[in-house]
Order: sequence, then structure tokens, then C-alpha cells
Amino acid sequence: MGPEPAGQARRSYRRHVEVPAATVRKGAPVPTLTIHPTGEKIFLAQGETVLEGLYKAGYAYTIGCRRGGCAICKVDVHDGAFDYNRPVADSVISDEERADGTCLSCRAVPDSDLTIEMRDSCLRLVNPFLRQINEKARLRAEALAAGTTTKE
Amino acid sequence: MGILRMGYAHVRVTDLAEAKQHYANTLGLYETLEQDGKVYYKGWDEWDHHSLVLEEGGVGVVKYGFKVEKPEDIDEIEQKGKAFGLTVERMSKGENPEVSDGIRFTTPSDHVFEVYHEQTLIGTEVGTHNPEAFPRHLVGVGVPGLDHSLILAEDVRTMENMLTEVFGFYATERVQTDLVDDDAHYIATWMTSNNQIHQIAVLEGPQSKLHHVAFKLQDWSEVGHAGDLFAMDDVPIDIGPTRHGITRGQTIYFFDPSGNRNEVFAGGYLAYPDRPTVKWTPDQIAKGIFYHAREINERFTTVST
Repeated sequence: MGPEPAGQARRSYRRHVEVPAATVRKGAPVPTLTIHPTGEKIFLAQGETVLEGLYKAGYAYTIGCRRGGCAICKVDVHDGAFDYNRPVADSVISDEERADGTCLSCRAVPDSDLTIEMRDSCLRLVNPFLRQINEKARLRAEALAAGTTTKE
Repeated sequence: MGILRMGYAHVRVTDLAEAKQHYANTLGLYETLEQDGKVYYKGWDEWDHHSLVLEEGGVGVVKYGFKVEKPEDIDEIEQKGKAFGLTVERMSKGENPEVSDGIRFTTPSDHVFEVYHEQTLIGTEVGTHNPEAFPRHLVGVGVPGLDHSLILAEDVRTMENMLTEVFGFYATERVQTDLVDDDAHYIATWMTSNNQIHQIAVLEGPQSKLHHVAFKLQDWSEVGHAGDLFAMDDVPIDIGPTRHGITRGQTIYFFDPSGNRNEVFAGGYLAYPDRPTVKWTPDQIAKGIFYHAREINERFTTVST
């Protein structure tokens, strides 16, 4: 009998932190994300953002602040509807982008099933200053090639 | 004496309630005023009225305030600013709550800088009479104050020239393409007016952008403790805890709830104007920024607000 009250207290605490029933509609469809062009399907929970859903399923892509400020986690929505769960600055999403399927994935919560396509997920430039060095190397190589040609 | 320090940073946030939760409860800044949709904060070891202003709507930086020692310093900086070619305007006492009159100008990097000589004196949270070492009931990280900011500019050298000629700053460290200054393209510069290792840094990038606003900490253990609290409060970490090769400071970069980058910064050696400027070559910039990993993460140059 001794440890029981503590155990009960813990159980009731757990019940307390469960998602409030009102937000989980029984029988409500769970939104899915379909990744074009692979067709991979990700199952989201209610209220989950596109970014949260992808990371929860084990994926990674180019993300930054995760709080709607830096704009680098944008993906393209081919089909479906979504809303932003916070105000998004005009410097982050332009009026044009609000209409052309651009989706700021860290703030976007699907209203329906979504089909998305990732951006810039292959070769990513993370140090533009090293690229400047490479550009200098290109100029040197060209100069060398030109020099060699004139000597011949 | 000229510029004493960066006195305030004024930052935009998309959601003021969430921002207050972050800056007051996670970082532990003290709210000193809320007025006209703006919230004003100071750290526990700061004596002036505020060092951080938050304004709802958008992201990024609105402006910075630099404090000078004497009212006459304002006139001198105004003249030097005009001589440099800046359009300098006068600002009146009270345009910023609890801040004196002064001047305002837009930098070559399209940031707004204000210079003032006085803010309402509130006093540190431990006072000046037989003070305790720190306030007993600090909240969260309990940062003692604002430290510095890093801004982006298309032309770093012009910004360094402006800060040198108008503010009397000097460069403590720099990233440059050639060790001979005249032949070099400047990629980044770290600048100060006193012994603080940097008050403002400028990195090559898009105009008018904010890279980060940093708050002071004392040492590694405080930086580590801050990291623990960020985990508890679900604060997105950019990188760290790690060390900067540049400045030798210990750091965590993280994001506020609107995506503005913040830093907690500890250490850094004492700066002197006669100490030779430390120079980093671009091939070593990654070690300069993140001394342990020696790789620039993909957010360092791409994420700003």
C-alpha cells in the first residue's frame, strides 16, 4: 500500500499533461505530406508543422532558425492547403510568395493533405568565402592556361 | 572619450508575447517599460534604463544606440559623420523613452545608428552600496547585460572606415583576403572603442541585416548552464557551446521565437588600440568562427533577419 499514493499521483499528473481532448477530434483525418517526386508519405499529427513532421519522420533538409524568421526552410506546395501558425514577416514571405505555393515549412500547418517538393537539397553552398577562393583559383588557372598558350 | 559602448539594440519580433517569454524568462532580462507596443529591458548588471527594445511586427533590427560620455562628444561625432559624408540628423530627448537628445544617421550598410549621452539611471540590481555578487533570484540564464552585435554589409571596408573615422573605433580582428591591408578585400571586422573585444562586428552580406545580438556571460560554465536552460525551454540552438577562434570568446548561437539570432558570449581577451590587429585568412575563417568544429555550419552565412 505504501508506494501507491505516489504512483497514483504520477499517473494523474500524466493524465493532466495529455493533449486536451478538445484539440483531438475523433475521426478527424490525419494530414499527410507527400514528397514529390519520390512519393514518400509522412503522417503528421494535428497542429504539427511541415518541418516538425519531416524531422519526426527522420528527414533533414536546409533549415535555419526554426521560428519563421530566416526564410531558408521554404518548400513548394504542389497540392493542398495550409495555414501559418504565427504571423510571418513580410521580409520573410512576399505577397507573391503567399500566392505561388511557397511554404515556410517551420510555420506551415496543413489544412489538408499536402504534396510538397523540396528546394536546394542537393549541393549546398555553406561557405561563400571559400567559393571566392575557388574563383581566384579559376582565374589563376585561366591565366596559367593563357600564359602556356602564348609561350607555345 | 567618445563612444562608451553599444547602449541599446532595438529589434523587431513577430509575436511580442512569445518574445517576452524568451527575453524575460529564458534570458532573464528585467523589463523596465512597456509603451506604444514596445518593451524595454535591461540586464541585472546594467545601470541605464534599457539595453534591449522589442517591437512587434516583422523581424530584424530597427536601430542601435551608442552611448557617449559627454554631451560635447555628440557634436564631435556629428561633425565627423558629416565629414565622412553621412546624413546626420538631430534627435530630441524623449524620442526614445528615457534617452537623451543626440544624433541619428543611416550607416553605409543601411543600419540606423543613434548616439546619445544619457539614459535615465536606474542602477544595477545589486546596487552600489556594499553590493552582493549577483542578485539572489535571477530568472533563467540571468544575463548581466548586452554585449555586442554582428551586422551584415555589402562593403565591410567602408563600414570599418566609418566606424574608425566617425566613432573612433579600432579593429581588434579581421578576416581579409590578403595580409597586406591595402591589397586586401575585407570580409569581416570586429571593432571596439575600449578594452571590450568587440562592440560591433560587420560581416559581408546583404545590407541592413542582423546576424545576431549577443549577451554577456562570464565563463564556460555559465555558457554550458545557458545551453541546459535552452534545452529546457525548447530554444532552437544554432551552434554551441563552442569557442570562437576570433576573439577567443565562448559561445552559443541560438534563435529567439521570431527567428532573430541571439548569442551568449563569454571571455574574449582584453583589447587595446596599440595591440596589432589579428588577421584571419579566408581559408581559415571556419576555424575563426567555430574553433572546435572548424566548419561553418550552413546557417552562419545564410541565416539573418
